Amino acid sequence: MSSTEIFPELPLFDLRLEPQDLEAVAETLRSGWLTLGPRTAEFEEAFATQLGARHAIALSSCTAALHLAYLAAGAGPGDEVIVPSFTFAATAAAALYCGATPVFAEIVSRKRPSLDPEDVERRITPRTKAVCVVHYAGYAAAADRLRELCDAHGIALIEDVAHAPSATLGGRKLGTWGLAGAFSFFSNKVLSVGEGGLLCTDDDDVAAFVRSRRSHAMTSGTWDRHSGRTDTYDVDGLGFNYRLDEPRAALLLSRLGRLESEITRRRELTLRYRELLKGIDGIILPFEDSEVPNSSCYVISIMIEQDGRQAEVSARLRERGIQTSIFYPSIHSFSAYRERFPDVSLPITELASRTELTLPFYPHMTHDDQDRVAAALDEAVAQ
Amino acid sequence: MSGWRVPLTDIAMPEQDVQAVLECLESGWLTMGPRTQAFEQALAGYVGTPHAVTVSSGTAALHLSCLAAGIGPGDEVIVPGFTFVASAGAARYVGAEPVLCDVRSAADFNIDPEDVARRITPRTRAVVAVHFCGYPADVAALRELCDAHGLVLIEDCAQAIGARVDDAGRQVGTVGELGTFSFFSKKQLCVGEGGMVTTADEELADRVRLLRSHALTSSTWDRHRGHDPAYDVIDVGYNFRLDEPRAALGLSRLGRLDDNIATRRAIVRMYRERLADVPGIELPFDEQAVERSSHFAFAVLLKDRATRDRFRADLKENGIQTTWYPALHKFTEYRRFAPADGLPAATEAADRHCALPLSSLMDEAAVETVVDVVRAAVSRPG
Repeated sequence: MSSTEIFPELPLFDLRLEPQDLEAVAETLRSGWLTLGPRTAEFEEAFATQLGARHAIALSSCTAALHLAYLAAGAGPGDEVIVPSFTFAATAAAALYCGATPVFAEIVSRKRPSLDPEDVERRITPRTKAVCVVHYAGYAAAADRLRELCDAHGIALIEDVAHAPSATLGGRKLGTWGLAGAFSFFSNKVLSVGEGGLLCTDDDDVAAFVRSRRSHAMTSGTWDRHSGRTDTYDVDGLGFNYRLDEPRAALLLSRLGRLESEITRRRELTLRYRELLKGIDGIILPFEDSEVPNSSCYVISIMIEQDGRQAEVSARLRERGIQTSIFYPSIHSFSAYRERFPDVSLPITELASRTELTLPFYPHMTHDDQDRVAAALDEAVAQ
Repeated sequence: MSGWRVPLTDIAMPEQDVQAVLECLESGWLTMGPRTQAFEQALAGYVGTPHAVTVSSGTAALHLSCLAAGIGPGDEVIVPGFTFVASAGAARYVGAEPVLCDVRSAADFNIDPEDVARRITPRTRAVVAVHFCGYPADVAALRELCDAHGLVLIEDCAQAIGARVDDAGRQVGTVGELGTFSFFSKKQLCVGEGGMVTTADEELADRVRLLRSHALTSSTWDRHRGHDPAYDVIDVGYNFRLDEPRAALGLSRLGRLDDNIATRRAIVRMYRERLADVPGIELPFDEQAVERSSHFAFAVLLKDRATRDRFRADLKENGIQTTWYPALHKFTEYRRFAPADGLPAATEAADRHCALPLSSLMDEAAVETVVDVVRAAVSRPG
């Protein structure tokens, strides 16, 4: 590490694990069984129960979950998957893994940077196999309306729930509205483990498909053979290695018990943050206070009203030891996507991407630190 | 649990390994950070290669190697028919066609360079040399062949970390343009799920690094350290990252890898001594191969498939866990890739072999237990 590098005093996210989390991992390591065994099964069952889904299948990442979800929806060469562009690249890349084409749709507004069902409807073609909705920042997108739309057209709704574990829409958990939900346990997420993901579904066939493809489409696993259940196996499809391992399953299981209370804390802090941010002229605060109680409150996202100031404001905050990020640069503006899809134009998404800043936020953030971020942002935007 | 008298594999997890993981978890930084860097540096030193890039699995390592080598639709990749299924899957992930080739013989069950030569076409782009069960394949012959035909040599070292290709001690993963490794839980160096790509070519290393993390031009770690928050995505990449706790575990275990391999080799030699004269048991490979192998698995050969199946059932009944690898072209999914000649040596190796328990936790008594059961099994009239 060079001496010019600055570690932020107030980082974007900050993970703290409890002693019982460490103990759970230590116990798993000492057991000597490290892959797809009893702890993964236990975590999957607990997650499915908490979510109210029939099946939860632990995977190596949310990217892997999206890949398998699109495959399960039947997406292949020549097919299209409608996705937002105001999201992480994986949402679109997973369509390309299947040989399908991502078709980018617009968000509603900077105040509501979630997939716009009306724009989705306009982009449905005979080749559309699925729509993937992202619940940005932990707030429910219009999964209800998208579900109706998808049902009417006979296409699959996939939910990218990377930001939104345990968030709800109309009392129903996000991730359970469509054919499958894809969760992320990446290190900066609400429920984090390092690298990890999960796919949930109520569809038995989708669950069987995903279980098969996450482990090379082998008809039995190492654990089955170790426990004497089977002696050999067949391979009956093109599968991958998308498995999670036991230490990560143990860590997730330990942390899952505190998920609701951590989200409650996130909601309290989010409401307090929002009060502070509302007093700042020149920014847009996405979503409404009334949505906070149903949100997982993953990140605090703001939009600078005036275009062209993102880099400058971010730099000013960095000078004050405050790390920010951009959630997200629009996918269609990246080089790799401009080359492949040069004609995409999504004015609301593009403006949101050019003006968004994500502020430091974590469950143990102090009020003082929130005050400090808000004051620095106020000053930076006013300049 | 399972109640095997002698399980197929077993993992030693000394307290220092557990502590290394806990320290990492306590730090709160879980992805792509200093521990991954340190692990990669140590791995490069161990293997003797300029670049070691950790990834999420051996499968991911093969996938990214194919991508980095520019293999794509319309291309052919030659893969032995006797290997784990990932060796062939990787070619298909990138849209290429796996062309299955034969192994030398049931008793020398690694990829046969002469058979590879017969299967080269104008569309062939690469050869995947699998060092099966830890025994080094003939990469010298394959290197020459690939050079003569302008092909990329990818060494699949998933089962062979620490194996040597010559008496000078050159390791597997340093002869091909790319080497792929696995840190899966049964492997000599295991962390749960994990893998690595080795290469001497800086461009290939950069390509693998880029594609393992969605082709982002900066990482979460870079941005955490105060780099600009803006980034570009310059290709279609994947999430094939290893995380910090696994890097910490791997780094802690790497220091004992040579001891682990030496113990495995000693166990294999005990087996071979005791089984050399047992009628009905044939030992694959020779003393030179045993010396160079890093001993992922120890296989013996039985007379034929029916004898092998009875033998396995007998061992299972007596609490000895065994396994075997089906030939790829016998899987439902890979039947359509079976060449016309049916890969006779690969088929014979698959049908006749049985892998006996092998781990660094075994001792002479465990070997004796297995050997006694083996002797009794083969002396029983079929």
